[in-house]
Parts: sequence; C-alpha cells; structure tokens
Amino acid sequence: MINVALPKGRLGEKVYELLCQIGYRCEEYSKDSRKLIFSDERGEVSYFWVKPSDVAVYVELGAADIGVAGKDILEEYCPDVYELADLKMGKCSMCVAALGDFKDDLSSPLRVATKFVHTAEKYYAEMGRDIEVIKLNGSIELAPVLGISDVIVDIVETGTTLKENNLKVVSKISDISARLIANKSSYKFKNDGILRICEKLKKAVESSD
Amino acid sequence: MKNKICAKREESIISELSTLYRQYGYKRYKPSCFEEYALYQENKDFLIGKNVITFSDLNGELMAMRPDVTLSLIRHSDISDKVTEKYFYNEKVYRQSSGGRNYKEISQIGVEVVGAIDETVVGELTILVCKTLETVSDDYILDVSHMGFTEGLLNEFTSNRNQLSEYLRTKNLHDFYSLAEKEKYPKKLISAFETAVNACGSPQNVLKSAKLAILNSTMRDAVDELTALFEVLDEFDYADKVNINFSATANADYYNGVIFNGYVKNIPHCVLSGGRYDKLIEKFEKDGGAIGFALYLGEIERYLAKDSESIDYLIIYDGKTNLEALKTARKLRSDGASVRISTSISVGQIYKELIDLTEKEADE
Repeated sequence: MINVALPKGRLGEKVYELLCQIGYRCEEYSKDSRKLIFSDERGEVSYFWVKPSDVAVYVELGAADIGVAGKDILEEYCPDVYELADLKMGKCSMCVAALGDFKDDLSSPLRVATKFVHTAEKYYAEMGRDIEVIKLNGSIELAPVLGISDVIVDIVETGTTLKENNLKVVSKISDISARLIANKSSYKFKNDGILRICEKLKKAVESSD
Repeated sequence: MKNKICAKREESIISELSTLYRQYGYKRYKPSCFEEYALYQENKDFLIGKNVITFSDLNGELMAMRPDVTLSLIRHSDISDKVTEKYFYNEKVYRQSSGGRNYKEISQIGVEVVGAIDETVVGELTILVCKTLETVSDDYILDVSHMGFTEGLLNEFTSNRNQLSEYLRTKNLHDFYSLAEKEKYPKKLISAFETAVNACGSPQNVLKSAKLAILNSTMRDAVDELTALFEVLDEFDYADKVNINFSATANADYYNGVIFNGYVKNIPHCVLSGGRYDKLIEKFEKDGGAIGFALYLGEIERYLAKDSESIDYLIIYDGKTNLEALKTARKLRSDGASVRISTSISVGQIYKELIDLTEKEADE
C-alpha cells in the first residue's frame, strides 16, 4: 500500500484525475465527502488531501510515501526528500516585482516583502545584494503600493493581479510547477510500487504535454 | 502501537552493541563533554547541524558542549598510517534535533577506525554496520555510495556544481535535463549522470551499469573498490541487505571513499550514517585515514520499546503494615517477580495481582 499526499484544491484534483487515468482510481473517493483518507479497494494506494504547503512535511516525516508539491514549496523549505518527476501542472513562476517606476537604490538595503523568505534571501545572496525581508502571509502586492517594501518576491501566474496594482515583473527567479516527491526511506522499502506509479505518471504527463 | 518498530529498549540496544564492538576488538573511547569552540568553528561543515551550545570557561576561553564525538577523537588521539586503531563510543551529543528548533541531548553510539585503513578494514566495518542495523531491526536497508564515483562525475562538469550535486541528491532528472539542454552537455555526460541518479538497488546490477558510466580514473577506482567490498559482503550473506545509491552523498571536504546510510522499515529517516573521511585527518595534519559510522539512537527513541508499565504484584500498605509489605515483596522478588509497594494505586499502573495489606485492618 502506497500512501499519497495530495494538495487540497484545483491542483490536487487535477493530479488525482491523472492518477485515475493511469489506474489508481479510488472508488471510495468523492469530492463532497468529509472523510480525510481514502483507500483504493485493491489496496494499492491510499490518498489524503492536505494543505499544499504541508505536503512536503507529510512526505518527509513518512506519513505519506509520495506526494505532490509545488517547486516553490520545495525551494523554500528544502525538505529531505527525493524529487522524482515534474508533473508540468500548476505552472507559474517565482518573480521579483515592483511598482512601474521602480529603480534599485544601491545605497541602502533593498526592502523585500514576501511569503518565501528563504527563496528571497538565497536569490539576493547569490547576487550579493543586501536586503531586509518583510515576511507577509498574503496580499503581498500591497506592500510596495503602501510603501513598506521596495519589491516583492512572489508567485506570478498570469500577471493580472500585478497589473491591477500597477506592479511589473522586474526579474524571474525560477519556473514553478508541481513535482512528485518521495520519502527517502519509503523509496527503498516500497521501491517497486513507487517507481511503477512514477513511470506511469511520467508517461501520462508526456502524452498530455 | 503502530509506531513501535523495535521490541528492544534503548539500554538493551546499547548493551548489545557494546558487546558486539568489544567482540570485534574495539576499545571504548570516552571524550570530555566540553571542547574548545574553535574545534567546531573550524570544522563547521563536518557537523550535522551548524549550531553548538557555547559558554566561557573559568579562564575566559570560549568552550562548547560537544555536538559530535568524531572531531574530539581525531583531535586527541595519536594517529599514524602504520597502525590501525579501533574505537567505539556511546555518548550524548548536544545539537539541534533534526527538524527541531531546540537543542537536544541526543544519544549516539558509533565506531571509528583511524590510522592504516585497507580493504579488509573497510569490509569488516561494513559488516559491522549491517550488524548494528540488525540489532535495531531485521528489516533494514543499507545504502552504500562512494565519494570517488560522485565527485569524479561532478568534476567532469565545468560549472553549476552545486545545482548538479543537488539534483543528484534528490534524484531530480527533469531539472537536470533542462539544465543539460541549456548548457549543451555532451551525451556521454548526460547518460553517466542518469546512471548515477537511477542507481538504486542490488549491487550486482548497479555496478554493472556503473561500470559503463565511468568517465575517469577516480570513478574507476571507486567502482573497483565497491566491487571488492561487495564480494566480501556477498561472502558473508549481507549482499541482499545492501543497496548502491549514488544519491547518498556527504561533504566532499571531509569524505572521500565509501558512504553509508542506514534505513529501517517504517522509520522515515536515515538512522545510521558514516563513511570514509581521510580528508578530515589531513586537515588535522595527521597521517593515515579514517572510517566510521554512528547510529542515532536519540532520533529513533520513539520507535523503540518503552519501559514496561506492567508489574507482577502491586502491594498496598499503610502505617501498620509497612514491614509486612517489605517482607512480602522480598519473598516475591526472590521468586523472580517484579513487585512494587505503594500506599496507593497510581494512575495507569498495570499489575497482574494486587495485594492489599490495608484490607485486613478494615475487616477487623
């Protein structure tokens, strides 16, 4: 039995659909049910849905053998897991954005508002730019508008929210998409099962690409 | 009780392992709890966590509570490439618990061999690694890697070293392919990297494909050494417990040969790690090599059996029957039973039989 942690929400539903297509449907599962864990009747897999940012924690601690997490989360928390496949879903990018007339003033530290503190610190450390991080948990776009930060580091999907708030992308840090991750111990003890799911998923992703 | 992987208690594992290591002729090493902070500061990257507990001693010198035993051993022992010294230790170390935000006292038991190291030493030590894991559970897997193979491979790439080493460590081929396309890596290099990432499984198969991926003499020596090691392990019936996994890497500033990572079924993280670390000896300007491993008992504590709460007899006494209680208990204990005497029944106490010496009085 392989335990799979999926992210709650649209992405998780899409990944589940894909898993169904490759033969890991769970008859017991219904979208409206309030149950937390669902098992496939053949006993091959069981699913549970958790907050997207928690998937990596469940996998690292072995509650789930495999899971699906955004590359943004993996870059930010650096969990000790294997990253086995790019599912090419939930595509977006991690970007630096600022007000339209922004110019970097190198005489003082750059004030960066973000949810992704580690990602921002790493990015600017590599550039050798001194920064002050302002950790926010949501509505990051507000920070430069209200003047508490010079730039933001955040996920940009379509760019609509940025545009509506007079912000523009200054630079792209990395491309983001959903990744299949595996617990390091499970990878050894359930190697056949995990590799089977992984290979089928990769094929399904390729053919839909 | 789903989480109990091992029916043994921590003490019994420690005592079994100490006996085992003594049987192999290892001497017990007992370091001081404190060391000069400089030792750890200079070798920060050798430690599992970067943080250590520091304090000033009476001379005003900055000291640290040891976060590791290996560094103390290398610093304080005479090492020569003419003699092989074999030590084991069973100590507490003080560091951040894995994933935790606090310092923890972690019990650690391990083995270090320093000085002259040859194939036989490596072979015997690997058998000892298997026997150590076996003490925790029969259902274990030992991941073996070789720094010569991984470093030899990474050195073939002229740039992006950190990124590549991260891709190897996390078995991330998809991002590697994107990078390879961007950097236009030659086919041979791409296929060698693929082999390293996909390597996981029985030594026989993995070594066969590893041989085809050899790009330089460092990698060849590594494959030869692993082949020799597996011949020994096969001879001693440990081959099926061992996996070659080149994703298991260690810090190349210290480690240079075989690398061990031990896993036990149903424990989600690595429980044992170690390897060959001649480069650390070099840093201390001593001659010879070193190889060792540690079992992180503190990290697996929750999966081990706890002190049993159940006793054979519970004797309840009061002011008038205390002597009688002591005597009854002595008699029962001499028959081998576990007996607890108390004035009341504590919450959660499990016992097979209750002897209430206060009852008689109530009857009268």
